[in-house]
Amino acid sequence: MDIRLLHPSDIPHVQQTNITNLPENYFCKYYMYHALSWPQLSYVAVDVSRPKKSPYDAPKIVGYVLAKMEEDPIDGVQHGHITSLSVMRTHRRLGLAEKLMRQSQRAMFETYKAVYVSLHVRVSNIAALALYRDTLGFTVGGTEAKYYADGEDAYSMRMDLDYLREEALDAEDSDQEDTVGQDEGGEVGSAGKAGEGADAKQKERKRKVKVGRQLGVQELVENNASSQQAKANGAS
Amino acid sequence: MAAKQQSQLPSKEASLFRHLVQNYESKQYKKGLKNAEQILKKHPKHGDTQAMKALILSNQGKNDEAFALCKVALANSMKSNVCWHVYGLLWRQIKNYQEAMKAYKMALNLDPDSTQIQRDLAHLQVQMRDYNGFVQTRRKMLQAKPQFRQNWTALAVALHLSGDLAGAEDVLQKFEQTLEKNPPPKSDIEHAEAVLYKNTIIAEEGELERALEHVEGLYKSALDKTSVMEYKADYLLRLDRKADAEAAYRLLLARNQEKREYYEALEKALGLDRSKSEDQEKLLQMYQSFADQSERIDAARRIPLDFLEGDAFRKHAEQYLRRMFSKGIPSTFANVKQLYSDPAKKQTLRELAEKLLSEQPSANGDAAPAQANGSIDGASKPQKSDPTTTWQLSVNYFLAQHYDYHLSRDLAKAQQYIDKAISLNPSETDYTYQMTRARILKHQGSVSKASKTMNDAREMDLKDRYINTKCAKYQLRNNEHDTAVSTMGLFTRKEAVGGPLGDLTDMQCVWFLTEDGESYLRQGRLSLALKRFKTVYDVFETWTDDQFDFHSFSLRKGMVRAYVDMIRWEDGLREHPFFSRAALSAIRVYCMLFDKPELASQSHLNGVAGESNAEKKKAAKKARKEAERVEAEKKAKAAKAPQPKADDEGSVKKEDTDPNGLELVKTDKPLEEAMKYVAPLLELSPKTLEHQIAGFGVFIRRKKYLPALKCLLAARALDPSHPRCHELSGRLQFALQNFSEPLPEKAQSVVDATFLSTLPSQPIADVNEAFLQANKDSAPHVHSAVRLRYALKADEEARKRGVQDLLASLGAEGTSWEEALEGLRVLGEIEADAEARGEYVKAARERWGQAEVFVVS
Repeated sequence: MDIRLLHPSDIPHVQQTNITNLPENYFCKYYMYHALSWPQLSYVAVDVSRPKKSPYDAPKIVGYVLAKMEEDPIDGVQHGHITSLSVMRTHRRLGLAEKLMRQSQRAMFETYKAVYVSLHVRVSNIAALALYRDTLGFTVGGTEAKYYADGEDAYSMRMDLDYLREEALDAEDSDQEDTVGQDEGGEVGSAGKAGEGADAKQKERKRKVKVGRQLGVQELVENNASSQQAKANGAS
Repeated sequence: MAAKQQSQLPSKEASLFRHLVQNYESKQYKKGLKNAEQILKKHPKHGDTQAMKALILSNQGKNDEAFALCKVALANSMKSNVCWHVYGLLWRQIKNYQEAMKAYKMALNLDPDSTQIQRDLAHLQVQMRDYNGFVQTRRKMLQAKPQFRQNWTALAVALHLSGDLAGAEDVLQKFEQTLEKNPPPKSDIEHAEAVLYKNTIIAEEGELERALEHVEGLYKSALDKTSVMEYKADYLLRLDRKADAEAAYRLLLARNQEKREYYEALEKALGLDRSKSEDQEKLLQMYQSFADQSERIDAARRIPLDFLEGDAFRKHAEQYLRRMFSKGIPSTFANVKQLYSDPAKKQTLRELAEKLLSEQPSANGDAAPAQANGSIDGASKPQKSDPTTTWQLSVNYFLAQHYDYHLSRDLAKAQQYIDKAISLNPSETDYTYQMTRARILKHQGSVSKASKTMNDAREMDLKDRYINTKCAKYQLRNNEHDTAVSTMGLFTRKEAVGGPLGDLTDMQCVWFLTEDGESYLRQGRLSLALKRFKTVYDVFETWTDDQFDFHSFSLRKGMVRAYVDMIRWEDGLREHPFFSRAALSAIRVYCMLFDKPELASQSHLNGVAGESNAEKKKAAKKARKEAERVEAEKKAKAAKAPQPKADDEGSVKKEDTDPNGLELVKTDKPLEEAMKYVAPLLELSPKTLEHQIAGFGVFIRRKKYLPALKCLLAARALDPSHPRCHELSGRLQFALQNFSEPLPEKAQSVVDATFLSTLPSQPIADVNEAFLQANKDSAPHVHSAVRLRYALKADEEARKRGVQDLLASLGAEGTSWEEALEGLRVLGEIEADAEARGEYVKAARERWGQAEVFVVS
């Protein structure tokens, strides 16, 4: 099962996966709207082990995350939003939902400086709630009355993207390390290998003040020196 | 709307006209119409006002009225750019882009500097893929307003699409230069995207060194880090800078360990070759090092199974299966079935699974501590089960799927294993195993049992749409249309107009429409079948039109790489299997209608032949009820919707005037209609044998022998020994022999050189009999020979012999029930009588006791 970016050509199958699994469905155009507005954020899980039937086989999509940035955040804080996420029942227990979500979250953070990511889930959908809360680390922020067309309420959930900020800092520190894999999500890459500029670094750290843990972060901002110090302070 | 010339209205009316334009733009149609009326009272022949009124009418869905009025407006003001522009917009509204383009060009002649007309024209040009025109228009727009980035980017995109890569790069470069004094902030995503776009163009020009240098300059500031890293890695590898490429791909793999492309590139960077046995150990080590990084990675564990052979394969496959079985991962079989194309691997996997069946999970030393219900997706966790149960359940489930798979099919064994799995399943809501039982039944041809079993599975978890969907699909396979619609209705929007089917149509649920159509086709209900296939056709039309808005939207957003991707995808949209499948069925229906026009009148709610009177009455009653329901719905809708919101609200959704496809099926030009489906298949997915065969079928009926020949030659090139190639060849030869008028000289010489000269000199009929004799044991060959014989001479003799041959093919060892079912269709094609069909069905039932699909129709 490959995890990769959603391309426009994936849309028919993503749409099919969605209407197969979930009650909230969308026109092709709405998928296009996502893919053409925030092309970095939506990911698909593709069954690459399917024997080909013809040279025109479309990739078989077994899971997807359709994501966007909130265009005018009410709270003024840049954040992403998960429009839809599902994994085919036949491809559960492979951790696909989490893998999809992590890729999307990192892109939100890297490309759009998202501070957190939000989503809605039907209050009756215990399974989805458990997935988001227990497996993916979201917390329930509140309930939105009659969010769904049929009158059902939604939990509004969110997850801070702090962890990515820290990983990015770690990555800068482990500069020359070639590759780091880690259990559980394993996003500890050296994303900005070789000379993430001082400029960018400083900006990252300043941002961190907004949402990060108060201690340490403050020092990071004031102490805008070498990456050694950054590691001492920032790495968890 | 540009309103330059208001052809001398007095100031009061001129001001009203400005309001009218504003009203239109803000969709205040009622107010707009009022203002228009007021002007027209005093100046009844004011063309621009009439045109604006027409535009509003068209947006309200009153296209006929709008066109009539706009023509009056044009008669009054032939020289008004507004009138011509509106005329173009009206054509655009009804999607006649050719006419729209002409009208825009007229308008632009009258007002060459109008930005709005230029923009509308540009959108049409790109929609129509008139790239040269698009470049011209965009160039003019840039010259008029060079201060906007959009205009530069747009010209670059136009040049890129037209194939002028250097020109595109140059335009992007020039704009960047204008920014040098005031560089945009790093967070400027539009700028970042334009720069990356330029990078892809440099690479597309083949200038990898330069592209690499350029992307390295972007590396630290890039917002879309993944792209930048991927581009860099790709260029390094293509430049054969292997050590750097290796490092770059390792960085990418640290970010995403589940992407084959990265692993394959890394192999290349390391200079490893899967086909060399001396490299296999190194490859294995490489993958092992990734697998060791995390328990969660699948790709690094699964990929080695692709290239390992023999004992190494056995060893690794065992590890792989142990790990998957102990975790109870349901997609294990799906993950390995690709390997079944290799008979040795297929056998090894079976042996391993059978060996592991008898083991206890405690014996699997190297697997991770068994996470009996280590559901990482959290959702639908099965109830707690002990490792032994998880293990046995997994292995039995695997073997059930193994024996169900077409390359290793033994359905009796599949049944046994799935029954065992079901007995082991501790969960009351995990329907996985019941679902597979239904699938096995389907493969036996027990469509009604399969449908029932899938419904049992559905009832285990009523809140799960996935199983609900599966269930509806199986109901359609069993021709239970109404039940399937109600099943789907459990999850469709209750407020949708037209009930569940209306919602599914709105939501472009192509699979359901296709399956439903195929079900109607099996029942000979051609009108409804055709209706569904046409709906799929229309969904694809909508998807084509969907891109229109993005011609402006994407330039505003600045996400040009994604936009270009989208354009390329749309170019080949109809190569999608969703389209082909519905198209092939639609073509079949049209050919049936051509061969037997009387089917059109019989098809409505009736089987083709032989439904009992009671059934007919029932169907008629149902039809009446359906009509009443539709009528009632219409009334209710009319009552419920007094005024569309406020006085704006765009076009009203058009009512379907032919919900049952009765008009569709009445066509007197079935083959022309069929061509709408044939053309995209032959253009976009020509390398599929069925498409060429379908194309041939339509062309030969139209007596278009050259295109038919082209299809035949293409089919032969794909699979020369395919039985249908023999049949089509014979049919074409026969048609050419009997064609009354000679072909044009040139055509004749092509036919001679590529076709006739390659044929044996014996009569077609003799060649056909020899073909049949040589291939008696293959049902598909027999079908082709019987069809051809009947095509050569449709007489009693051919029919009688056809029946005999088809009956004999039922006894051939390798014949499957699916092939036998096709044979039943052939019996219909050679117009065999009920007695012969009955005899055939009886024989088929004797051989395939489980298959319920054999019925005398």
